[in-house]
Amino acid sequence: MFAAAMALVGIALFGTRFYMVDVPIWHFFGGGQGLDPATLHLRGEFVESNLGAAEDPGGALTVRMIAQQFVFVPQCIVVPADVPVKFRVTSADAVHMLSFLGTGYGLKAVPGEVNEATFTFNKAGEFNIPCHEFCGAGHYAMRGHLHVVPRDQFGSLLPGERRTCEPR
Amino acid sequence: MSHASQEGRAPSGALWLAAWVTVFALALPLAGDGAAAPAANAEPPIRIPSDVAWTKDTLAVISSGDAFHGLLLARRCSHCHGEDGFSAVGTFPNLAGLDRLSFWKQMQDFRSGKRTSALMQTIAEGLSQRDAADLAAYYALLPTASDPLEKRAFPQPMQDPSGATGAIRLIVFGDGQRGIPPCQSCHGPVSYIQGAPPLAAQNGSYLAEQLDHFSNGSRTNDINVRMRSIAMQLTAEEKTALSEYYGAGLGPGANSR
Repeated sequence: MFAAAMALVGIALFGTRFYMVDVPIWHFFGGGQGLDPATLHLRGEFVESNLGAAEDPGGALTVRMIAQQFVFVPQCIVVPADVPVKFRVTSADAVHMLSFLGTGYGLKAVPGEVNEATFTFNKAGEFNIPCHEFCGAGHYAMRGHLHVVPRDQFGSLLPGERRTCEPR
Repeated sequence: MSHASQEGRAPSGALWLAAWVTVFALALPLAGDGAAAPAANAEPPIRIPSDVAWTKDTLAVISSGDAFHGLLLARRCSHCHGEDGFSAVGTFPNLAGLDRLSFWKQMQDFRSGKRTSALMQTIAEGLSQRDAADLAAYYALLPTASDPLEKRAFPQPMQDPSGATGAIRLIVFGDGQRGIPPCQSCHGPVSYIQGAPPLAAQNGSYLAEQLDHFSNGSRTNDINVRMRSIAMQLTAEEKTALSEYYGAGLGPGANSR
């Protein structure tokens, strides 16, 4: 009886966590990257000129984002549909969470850690990314946007090109 | 992670070390090629918004500021920024009650040219990091409430009080769908974040100018594109409403700190 109850709890926990990518388990055993949240803008892969969608030489897409009180940078990201997209996310201050509403995916952003996950978005459209982890006074207005466009509309990126859909 | 003393982490640490050694051993022959490597992971030229980072060392320098020495230095600033930290000219910022961190950061950014200003860049070049910390300590102590017995220009009258409705909405609630957090969640009085100046007693024309500079890309010294990404979402009317509202000294927390 007890075992069955525990199994149910386990299934429930696993179910709710399935699409939500948290800090990798080895973080808790000393495998953290030791990124300094205060100096993200000075060095490393999260300098502002490197944020957004980037294409590897192999054609794989990587999106780099910073979550910070109380905006996501970049605020609007654009990715192709039906293609695995790797997200690399960190935080500059508190713990945040990107919740890709309507797609079932979620990804935590933790200061001092790069959280990585590969998602494939099946339907094109515009999705909101509200912050899903209380992060301070402006938490409820912290929202990013995800534009999923058909694969042929996205084209390919030049080396060194970083794509976002911010109105600049 | 530098907490090597914890016993429980030792086996995992060894595993990671082994993994990294393997990775580097595999990567070494690749790095030897030299010419092919830069093309493979082409990165855009690095743009650094500001050399200031809120590290422990920086915070220690700022918090060690001596307000009395700042008082002596401030005599040079008072021509433009006022004897009591309130500028006579609207496009010059009020310095009274400005928090230490944002004051110090702007001085360093003027010095390094990360923030441009014909006047302030040359002035900031004459100030050491220590001087800037002293001045920051002095101006942080100045009261933002105006003296009721004197007839000074602060608070400024609002040009168009009808704009206040829009301003209050943005200050209190922001606009989440456009990615605009409430102003008061970083600029006070609800909460502050590092490097965000309190706005309750700021000059309206100065705020309007800076919002324009943030949104059109002529001011880019905000860390991690925070203020730029917010300002580019504001309409011209909203910028006017916000700057007039804050400039009139009506901002939340005005005359109460």
